[in-house]
Amino acid sequence: MPVVSLQNLKKVYKLGDNDVHALRGVSLDVEAGEFVAIIGPSGSGKSTMMHILGCLDRPTEGKYLLNDVDVSGLSADELAEIRNRQIGFVFQGFNLLARTSALENVEVPLLYSRPVIPPADRRARADKALKAIGLGDRRDHHPNQLSGGQQQRVAIARALVNEPTLILADEPTGNLDSVTSIEVMRILQELRARRNITIILITHEAEIAAYATRIVAVRDGMIISDTPNVPKSLLDDAAAAHAASV
Amino acid sequence: MFSPLQALPMALGALLRNRNQAALAVIGVTIGVAALVTSMALGRGAQNALNEQLLAAGANVIVITSGNYRMDRGVKPDPEANIGHAAFDAGALPEAGRPRLMLAAYTLGFTARSNPFAGLLRQVHEEDDPMEMHDHPLAKERLGDMAAGLGSASTLTREDARALAQQVEGVKFVVSGVHENARVFVADSPEKRQWFTRMHGTEADLPQVRAGWVISAGRFLSPNDVEQSAQVMVVGRVVADRLFGEGVDPIGKTLLLWNQRFQIIGVVTSKSWTSQPVAGDDQFDAVYVPVTTVHRLLNLGKLNTVTVTTTSVGENASVTKQIIDLLRERHGISETQPDDFIVTSLAKQALGKGLPPELAKAVGGNLERIEELTVEQLSGSLSRANQTMLVMLGSVAAVSLLVGGIGVTNLLLLSVTQRTREVGLRIALGARQSDIAAQFLLEAVLLSLIGGVLGIAIGVAASGGLEKIFRWSASVSPMTALAAMLAALVLGIVAGVYPARRASELRPIEALRHE
Repeated sequence: MPVVSLQNLKKVYKLGDNDVHALRGVSLDVEAGEFVAIIGPSGSGKSTMMHILGCLDRPTEGKYLLNDVDVSGLSADELAEIRNRQIGFVFQGFNLLARTSALENVEVPLLYSRPVIPPADRRARADKALKAIGLGDRRDHHPNQLSGGQQQRVAIARALVNEPTLILADEPTGNLDSVTSIEVMRILQELRARRNITIILITHEAEIAAYATRIVAVRDGMIISDTPNVPKSLLDDAAAAHAASV
Repeated sequence: MFSPLQALPMALGALLRNRNQAALAVIGVTIGVAALVTSMALGRGAQNALNEQLLAAGANVIVITSGNYRMDRGVKPDPEANIGHAAFDAGALPEAGRPRLMLAAYTLGFTARSNPFAGLLRQVHEEDDPMEMHDHPLAKERLGDMAAGLGSASTLTREDARALAQQVEGVKFVVSGVHENARVFVADSPEKRQWFTRMHGTEADLPQVRAGWVISAGRFLSPNDVEQSAQVMVVGRVVADRLFGEGVDPIGKTLLLWNQRFQIIGVVTSKSWTSQPVAGDDQFDAVYVPVTTVHRLLNLGKLNTVTVTTTSVGENASVTKQIIDLLRERHGISETQPDDFIVTSLAKQALGKGLPPELAKAVGGNLERIEELTVEQLSGSLSRANQTMLVMLGSVAAVSLLVGGIGVTNLLLLSVTQRTREVGLRIALGARQSDIAAQFLLEAVLLSLIGGVLGIAIGVAASGGLEKIFRWSASVSPMTALAAMLAALVLGIVAGVYPARRASELRPIEALRHE
């Protein structure tokens, strides 16, 4: 059973009197544990794909099955719950709350979980997520006291805190220099290797896509190529061995 | 809805992050709530003062005055009767000559005792020698009923008062009164501090009649004081201040009245803002001594007034009639003769009190028979006037509250715009529309409640200040505070609804892209 299954997905925007066909029939299956890079120039429709995959937008036509559930017919509140429990977002601009500690930022998704999670549990889980990405000692720092790489790692911790099945990373290295970009990619590879989390990464940089296990190229609202990739591994030996054994 | 326990710290955090604008919005609400509290306090205070005044200044008070010199009864007042101070035998010398003879005698060095003209000055008491020290009332002070203006016109006695208390139905308190002007001195003071004031000979129940009074120190005269004609005195606030200075406790000090020592046992002052003690008034620029003591020292037997209160204000008319019938019977007045007393209800004064003097005059003058109005009618029309004022004050408060509410709405709209990305993020992370709406609504309510608490505090302080500075009556009741809090809460909800809706309807994709 694929984690994500897009079936002939179409999306049409109205822009004034013109219809903009952002997606013109996209079909894509992503299996659990895959690290898919969706690559394409701006205007290719990859952002629209991202929004539909993230349940932030609905397709005009076609089906989107997430963990075998057709989400295109769900209510706004049901979609909110799916975003909360099954999807972890990592954004280009980090989107951390200013003047709020790293720990509290990581706690945000837990605030919206049903049933309600007691504050002490929230704290513990956020703390665990921060430690997992190596920022346990920065829990009380505010975003403006953290480097770009550290901020993105806090954002990744936030994406992980509710233990989602799917992580959607939208240009996660777009605001980072090459050294920290590699650091972030290493963390994503590690997550996949250690936790078998499915990752869909959107980027326009081939270099970044090279760290994924599968590269899907998008242009003009259609998939033009879909190829497996032997990732440039950034993992140390133990993690690599773990990855190999999965 | 997510739990308020989680939302509260979140909303507080959001407000703290925008503390400058939050402070401005809070100020807006604060002003509105403070205006509301103050105007409600003033309205309530005015209502209280009105009720107090109606009771205090005469709603249920009837005064019976000795004699009857009303034009419409055909008995003209005798101007001589009220002058008093008849120190000389009226028949001995022509009027103009008497004082001169007296003066001449003193100038020649005669004392009263050795005065060869003593035979002519039969009524001059020997102690009247100004060179002599004496410790009892001078003859000219020791008036006698005639000289006190109580001569042939003087008709009321303490027996009359007792009969009224026992026989008239609907009477609550009966107080005998003798009233004189008098000079009081601080005893044993080298600088001879003195004050010219009103002296009221009265009884223990007077404070029950004067509902506007408060005994600010010590106690009032006791029935025992009256029975034993004790030389004790209760002084009005003004007298105490003038003789001993403000803030000095005069209890236990001694005053000289008619050269007699009186121990001060209490101070009386006004509890109402509409009648503050001032020099020259009849109640607080005055001294109160047992009526029996006055009678004893001044050689009197009659009364100037008997003051009566009715058990309920509606009974004034029936009580008045009973009083007239009883007194006419006791005084043996035949059908054809006029009363030898006057019965007055103090409704006119009650109405006039608290109004500017010109207005009071206009009201009293133009409503000739106003004392015949029932107290209910009077208090009803005054209450309506008061309510009109309350509504006006309330509308001012409502407008300021509205402005405060717009301030909150404005801050939140600004906040929604500034935090669009945050809202988008929260939606992406799983917040429902209702969560987002609740967050902004909660922020609005928090702002308003903070403003409400501050506003109540400021309103209470302002009411107190107004009371102090302008002597306005203001009263903040717990109900007022509760109503103000409720108003703030409703304001917060109303002010928050629109921004909350705006925030919850943001589309996450656009919101996340928002710069």
